[in-house]
Amino acid sequence: MIVEIALLCGLVLFSVAAIIFRDLLKAAICLAVASLLLGIIFFRMKAPYIGAFEISVVAGLITVLFITTIALTKTGGDVRESKAASWIFPLVFVVFLVLDFFVMRGLIGKIPALEATPEQGTFGEVLWKIRTFDLVGQIGVIFAGVLAVLALFRKRDKDE
Amino acid sequence: MVFLFIALPLVVAGILPLVGKISKKVLPDLLVNSVFVILLALVFFEGRGLVAQDAAIKQLFWFGEPLNIRLMLDGFSLFMLFAVSLVGFAISLFSIDYMDHYGSKANFYALFLVMIAGMNGLLLVTDLFQIYIFLEVAAVASYALVAFGLGQDELEASFKYLMLSAVASAFLLAGIVIIFGVTGGLDFETVSQGLRALDARYLVGLCAAFFILGFGLKAALVPFHAWLPDAHPSAPAPISAALSGLLIKVSGVYALTRVFLNVFGLTPALSTVLMYLGVISMVVAALLALGQTDIKRMLAYSSISQVGYIVLGIGLGTPLGILGGLFHLFNHALAKSLLFLNSGSIQMSTGTRNLDEMGGLGKRMPVTAGTTLIGSLAIAGVPPLNGFWSKLIIIVALVQAKQWAFALIAVLVSVLTLWYYLVIQRKAFFGQLNERWSAVREAPFWMTVSTVLLALLCIATGIFFAGTVNSWIRPAADALVKGVQTTLGSLGF
Amino acid sequence: MTGPMLLLPIFLPVAIALIAILIPSRVRYVREGISVLGSVVLLYFGYAFFTIKDLTWKVSWLGNGMDFDLRLYHFSAFILLGLAGFLFLITLYSTVKMKNVPRVREYYAYVFLTAAFANGATLSNNFVPLIFFWEGLLLTLYGLITIGGKDSNRTAVKSFILGGFCDFSMILGVAILWKITGTLTLSEISVKPEGLAAVSFILMVIGAIGKAGAMPFHTWIPDAAIDAPVSVMAFIPAALEKLLGIYFLARITLDFFQLEKNSTLAIVLMTIGAATIVLAVFMALIQKDFKRLLSYHAVSQVGYMILGIGTAVPIGIAGGIFHMINHAMYKCGLFLSSGSVEHRCGTTELKKLGGMRQEMPLTAFGFAVCALAISGVWPLNGFVSKEMVFHGAVETGYIVFAIAAWVGAILTFASFLKAGHSVFLGPRSQDVPAVKESESPVLIPILTLAGLCILFGVYNKLPLKGFIEPILEGHVEAGEHLDFSSHALALFNPIALISVGCLVIALLLHLYGWRKAGQKAYLASEPVHKFPVIKQIYDLAERRIFDIYEQGVRFLKWLSGVLFKLIDRPIDAVYEKGVTAVGRAFTGLLQAAHTGHYANYLAWSIGGLLAVAGIISLLLR
Repeated sequence: MIVEIALLCGLVLFSVAAIIFRDLLKAAICLAVASLLLGIIFFRMKAPYIGAFEISVVAGLITVLFITTIALTKTGGDVRESKAASWIFPLVFVVFLVLDFFVMRGLIGKIPALEATPEQGTFGEVLWKIRTFDLVGQIGVIFAGVLAVLALFRKRDKDE
Repeated sequence: MVFLFIALPLVVAGILPLVGKISKKVLPDLLVNSVFVILLALVFFEGRGLVAQDAAIKQLFWFGEPLNIRLMLDGFSLFMLFAVSLVGFAISLFSIDYMDHYGSKANFYALFLVMIAGMNGLLLVTDLFQIYIFLEVAAVASYALVAFGLGQDELEASFKYLMLSAVASAFLLAGIVIIFGVTGGLDFETVSQGLRALDARYLVGLCAAFFILGFGLKAALVPFHAWLPDAHPSAPAPISAALSGLLIKVSGVYALTRVFLNVFGLTPALSTVLMYLGVISMVVAALLALGQTDIKRMLAYSSISQVGYIVLGIGLGTPLGILGGLFHLFNHALAKSLLFLNSGSIQMSTGTRNLDEMGGLGKRMPVTAGTTLIGSLAIAGVPPLNGFWSKLIIIVALVQAKQWAFALIAVLVSVLTLWYYLVIQRKAFFGQLNERWSAVREAPFWMTVSTVLLALLCIATGIFFAGTVNSWIRPAADALVKGVQTTLGSLGF
Repeated sequence: MTGPMLLLPIFLPVAIALIAILIPSRVRYVREGISVLGSVVLLYFGYAFFTIKDLTWKVSWLGNGMDFDLRLYHFSAFILLGLAGFLFLITLYSTVKMKNVPRVREYYAYVFLTAAFANGATLSNNFVPLIFFWEGLLLTLYGLITIGGKDSNRTAVKSFILGGFCDFSMILGVAILWKITGTLTLSEISVKPEGLAAVSFILMVIGAIGKAGAMPFHTWIPDAAIDAPVSVMAFIPAALEKLLGIYFLARITLDFFQLEKNSTLAIVLMTIGAATIVLAVFMALIQKDFKRLLSYHAVSQVGYMILGIGTAVPIGIAGGIFHMINHAMYKCGLFLSSGSVEHRCGTTELKKLGGMRQEMPLTAFGFAVCALAISGVWPLNGFVSKEMVFHGAVETGYIVFAIAAWVGAILTFASFLKAGHSVFLGPRSQDVPAVKESESPVLIPILTLAGLCILFGVYNKLPLKGFIEPILEGHVEAGEHLDFSSHALALFNPIALISVGCLVIALLLHLYGWRKAGQKAYLASEPVHKFPVIKQIYDLAERRIFDIYEQGVRFLKWLSGVLFKLIDRPIDAVYEKGVTAVGRAFTGLLQAAHTGHYANYLAWSIGGLLAVAGIISLLLR
């Protein structure tokens, strides 16, 4: 239990840090660490597939993409921000945490615990046999994404 | 066969980019329009029969083997499918001429069809997570479509739309997850029964709030509306028409109604919140519309205001209120698509969307002027056009439910609506012809065909509205009322 | 004659309207021929229906008691006949006067559609079709005013908004009445105006008098007098809307609600009537344009009808309804004669006209008869109906209303002395070149109406027995036999003598003003205009301070501005300064894209979520 709480606190802290840091590189690394912690939490809660996805895709692949992009872009003129930015977000965040604490304390006893069932079959089986219809939707999302890239990065035809 | 509603647009969308390599314009035009004709035929010949047999849930088979794809088709979904196919057909007709100068037409059509597939899927699903997935299908396609012009404004509007939609999706997902956690299922039936057996009203209330944010943002109800006045005007006109006419209704109003009326049950608390949201949207957006000079922005605000009417009617929860709300949804889909398409005609002919720069266009573009007049009057609720009847039904329902204040506001807002539509008429079409536009010509053939079709539908629905109501809208309202009656009462809150 | 024949007065005009819009504008004679012929057919059927007086036809339409239900009985038959008569005269007149108007095809289409809607509204025996037709009239009126040209759009919008407001309040009234009685059939409704029903009564009365053009819903009429074609003015505000508005008002007070003599609502109605008479006639007096002057009288005279009906005394109601038909005749005649002058002289400004009697004797004669009729000079029809209204007002015991009506009579006569004197008498004006008398299609309607004014005045038993008495049948209490002769509508009784005295005062007033202004007739009203206090009120009125439409527009603009400054801007400021900073922290990685306002939107959504969640949990408690 204590390990989980520690992991959760770490997740929240690194996420906040990712938002607060001015330096993009630091922010990206913080995000990666947060995802890594999330992946570990998934593993500990007996959801190995999603844990593996989280660590490989979000913590790994996306971070690589971020860092490559940051390395490729030039450091332009620093955009000035009002000083309020540095303290308003933490302030709002603290207020949110306080509200969250009270709401959750009010609710926590009332949520009936779902009996813990082990995952039915393998990941593939779940996707193919039980959530077949979701696949159609996911095909749609992928289609939309591919088409969007085709459409938005098209060259303007000269004759049109 | 019902699966074709999703599969056909998806498959055609898949082959369109390839077809686009062979023929840039003619084949894609033909293909897309025939898809909509087939969809309309499916609605009429297949769907109505199925609904009449009361075969609500369809199990799909693959070579005799039962597949785990179940589709639900009741009066409400069929009615929405009808609206989507009809308006989609008008939009695809309009695009034949309009999208010529944008380039890469095949891709445009493909995205449009994916969006239609997403909406059709959303209309047929049976569980909460599938709602989320198909919502995303339609939404991802619509982000790209809003940015299709590739200008600065378009990209910015699309980005804002994307970011706000992502927030809505996140909260929706959170709500779905909580529901899954407490009931152990995602199926509408399972969830509905699970919630009834459960005593966790504050938790369910929290989920309801998440859903209201999620669907309310998609439907552009007032505190959640801010993306719409940027996104809808920036898109190409056919897409503005599809977004305002269809997307906000399917992914916002339909999903909201389905979840709250058939799954959660419309409790007094929810009903109150929905009605207030509806009224606030109506009033605030109408006042904002009055101050616009950009014709498409004005129309966009008007969409928010009219969605307010729809949500007010449905949120009232009485059979007549639901009937009025759904009828208004249909009428608004027709008329608002018509108006957005016409704004596209104007933009194409004059190159501006600023009302102050127009003037006297009625003389140069008589068809556009006439159809715009019909659309405006239909939305403003002038008899004998369709909008009048639906607003009348909503107001009568409010009076019957003794909601005097809401009825009064609804009447006053309809006067405001009339006002800003008259402003469009006066500034754009009437009055002295601006010298700049002396060479302006009427829109091309297919564009006028599409707008005239929609205008005639507005008139026909108005005059033969008893027929429309009885054959399409009453079954839809009945399906919802049945849902309200079975889910309501036994639930704890 | 069978039930379905009742569809004819509705569909025949629609058919003619369609033909008129389809025929190319060059084929003038065909269009005019068909229009005049069609209106003659309608007039014949109007007469035929009037002789039958009892016919119903009903098909179920929408369910829930919303049926397409038409009912012909003596009152609606009478209105139908009147409408057909005016339609015929206006069509005939238009063949000459509207010959060269640019959008002449639309003009004929709108006129006949107006007739169709008006006939439908008159025949409806169910509120739903009634409202349907009633609202349709708004559209055609809008179209007809825009035909006037340059600045008419503004006026058209004004008429539309004012009419829309009145109609919506009527719809609301109908909805409440439906709630109370549970039926939408006109002939089945009869309630006492108490509690909620009183609210419904007021709302429906607003609808009726708004259509008739009473204060304070009149303000589009004087504007339209300048902007709209004169035949439109003669047809719609002068004749048609009076017939419909007062018809409906009479139905409200006689049938749907049992209005009692001197009840609060009756006094409210009488006050509206009296105020309309006096205020509008004051405005009419100082007008310097012939058509504008007439238009204010069109408002003022409604006051007499409302006052008469508001008395809830048989003689008063009969007077009000009789005044309605009389007014429609002479005011239509007056507008048409002003149109005849405009047709030949090209202007209607009193200052530029003068001495036209020699060149246009028949127009002058028609004008004179109608003007004397509206002023209430014995033995013309206006005298009879006004006397009846006076008697009714005196009978209620509230003499103040009778006094208001008399003041109205003085100023009416004074202003028509001024108008007639300026246009037709006096020295020949130098501003207008030599002219001829108008063509016969223009003169025939004017002279017909003048002739009817004389006929209805001298043989007043004819309309009173034939038209008015059947309407009041069943509404006169037992024992109180309605006998018009008992009230001695002759010249010699105290009330009539006061009326005659009023006319003499008016003549003296006019002569005084005429002398004072150096024998310039168009300035004859200046002594009243310049009178202290009254002058200030006039100045305010000229600046449209009392125009509810202008004030409403100003208020809404102000509200829009205040909302923008007080709500939109501060919220923006809060978001730009505060929330935007938070938003930037959130979306710091995406700074390159312009996300400034996004945070604004996001904050709304999150705020909305908190509010919704809060409200739901409050409601659950």
